[in-house]
This record gives sequence, C-alpha cells and structure tokens, in this order.
Amino acid sequence: MNMKILVVDDFSTMRRIIKNLLNDLGFTNISEADDGNTALPILKKGGFDFLITDWNMPGMTGIELLKNVRADDKLNSLPVLMVTAEQKREQIVEAAEAGVNGYIVKPFTAGTLKEKIDKIFERINA
Amino acid sequence: MLDENQLINEDNIARAKDLLACMERGDEQGAREVLEELARIRETELYQEMGKLTRELHDSISAFGMDNEIINLAKDDIPDARSRLRYVIELTDDAANKTLTSVEKSIPLCDGMSKNSRTLNESWKRFIKRDMDVNEFRELSASIDKFLEDNTEEVTVLRTHLSNILLAQDFQDLTSQIIKRVIDLVEDVESNLVNLIKLTGSSAAKDLPDVKKPVHDTSPQGPAVPGVDQGVVSGQDEVDELLSSLGF
Repeated sequence: MNMKILVVDDFSTMRRIIKNLLNDLGFTNISEADDGNTALPILKKGGFDFLITDWNMPGMTGIELLKNVRADDKLNSLPVLMVTAEQKREQIVEAAEAGVNGYIVKPFTAGTLKEKIDKIFERINA
Repeated sequence: MLDENQLINEDNIARAKDLLACMERGDEQGAREVLEELARIRETELYQEMGKLTRELHDSISAFGMDNEIINLAKDDIPDARSRLRYVIELTDDAANKTLTSVEKSIPLCDGMSKNSRTLNESWKRFIKRDMDVNEFRELSASIDKFLEDNTEEVTVLRTHLSNILLAQDFQDLTSQIIKRVIDLVEDVESNLVNLIKLTGSSAAKDLPDVKKPVHDTSPQGPAVPGVDQGVVSGQDEVDELLSSLGF
C-alpha cells in the first residue's frame, strides 16, 4: 500500500497540497521535484511506484517528462498521473497519446484525486 | 552652372538683383511681387520635403509590420489581459472566502470541545479526590460517554474544514500562472513601444529584431480563463469524457 510517489510541480504550495492529500489517503512515502529536469534523475535512481506531475513548468515540462519516462527502458511502465491547469483538448489528446495514465485538471478535489489514483491501480492490477 | 536646388542659383541671383532694383527706385509693388515669388519657391520645397518624410515613415512602418502588431495588442491582447486579471481577483476572492468560511465554522467547534473538556476535567478531579456521590458519578459517566461520541464526530468535521482550507490554497499556483502570462504581454507591449520609439527616431527600422513570438498549439497555456480561452474543456467531467472517447 505504501507506494513511493514522486510529486512534480514548480509551485511548492501545490506540491504541499498534493502531498497532504496523499497523506490523507494513506501514502506517506513521497518525494518532490520542481520540474522535469530535476525529476528525471530522481526517477532514474529507481524505486518509484507512481509519478504525479504538473504540465506547465519551466525547464522540462510535464509532457516532456512523460515522454522521457515512456522512452526509458526502466521507467516506461511507471504509472503517471497528470495534475494540471492545462485544459485544451489538443493537450489532453497529446498527453493520452504520450501514454499518460490519468489526467486531472486544476482546481480539483480530494475526491477526484482518490478516484483517479484508485482507477489507475485497479487497471494496472486487473 | 549652379544646381537649381541650391538657394544661390542664376534665377535667384536675378530675382535678388530685381528686388534690389525695385527697392532702390521705390517700386513698392514690384518689390512685393519678387518677395512673394521667392516665398512661393520656398514653400514648394518644404512641401516636397514633408511629402518625402511622410512616405519614408509609412514605408518603414509597413516594412516593419508594426501596424498589425499594435492593432492586435490594442484589440485583443489588452482586453484579454484585463479578463485574465479579473479572473485572478475572482480566484483569490473565492479562496479567501472558502478559507474564512472553514475557519469560522471550525472556531466554534474548537471552543465547544474545549469547554466540554474543561467541565469534564473538573468533575473528573472531584471523582479522583472521592468528592462525589453516586448520583453525580452516574451523571459524570453519561457525560464522558456523550463527550467521546461527540468528539469523534466533531473531529471528523474539523478535519473536513482543514482539508477545505488546504485545497483552497491552490489559488496560488493558478493565479501565478495567469499573472505570468500577463507579464509576458506587458513585456510584448514594452518591446513594441521601444521599437516604435526607435522607428520614429530613426529610419533604420529594417535592422530591428522581429518581436513576434512563436505559437505552438500544445504549448503550456496556464489555467483557462472563462470567456477568453477557446478550445478548452470546462472541467474534470469533460476531461473524463474526452479520455474515455480515446479508449481510456
């Protein structure tokens, strides 16, 4: 149950919000990164079970991070949930094509986060 | 032979001599006519020069493509920025109100719990000191029972309020993304104004850099602002619908 999760967002307030919500859901093994460039080396060190990332970040964006994760032999099956304010249809389609496992638009509720996480892992474990 | 554009040329020398002769012989009318002719020649040159400058300015502006850029800024970008900033006010207002509502509901809960604990504590101390009869003890026992039950419920409600306060802080991320876009726009306006100043000060406008920025369809846009952004989903339900149509 206690998965190792990496939360990537350039805003520390949003990382704290997501971290607290994850704590409420029983996940306490959480690391943080502020963009794709810092997240990727952390992920490559291994041990992570789940990635939650924003889209719009300076340096490496979330969509680039997702593409990098899918292109990496060791990381390509890592479940990725995108939590972002980006809500253009083309963007959601692009994320889906890049292999995202779930997409949440900000602002979101604690219920939505739980529902999407449950759905992702139900599917993976099915 | 002197150039006809120069002030000193054969024609003008003849006119000057003519003017001097008219004046010496006291020919008022003749002198006036020569002066008027000279003034007319001067005016024509001035108009020609102004016409040339106007044409040059127009050519420079057209070559630079600034007219369109400035029209777009005034017509679309500035009103967009206004709407975005208004949306920032809405988001911060909403977050402040959500937080205040949760705090206002939490404070009486805390006060009630604190008051009940104090009352129970006093009775409990009397019980420890054996300063309590059987009837009072029955009452105390019932109070403890009720307190424990109420407390469990109240703590759950309090936790919900704290979660609401936590979530309301998302405004910081969302409004910052919107404000960053407005800052980009202000920078655009600034560089356009700088270019306009350069253009009016010098005709070497063709050497100025192109200030237009590239537009990518899926580049990060920040939060969608109602009434401003097109082609966006209206919320999580539409995201879910779109993804399920893609086989998710």
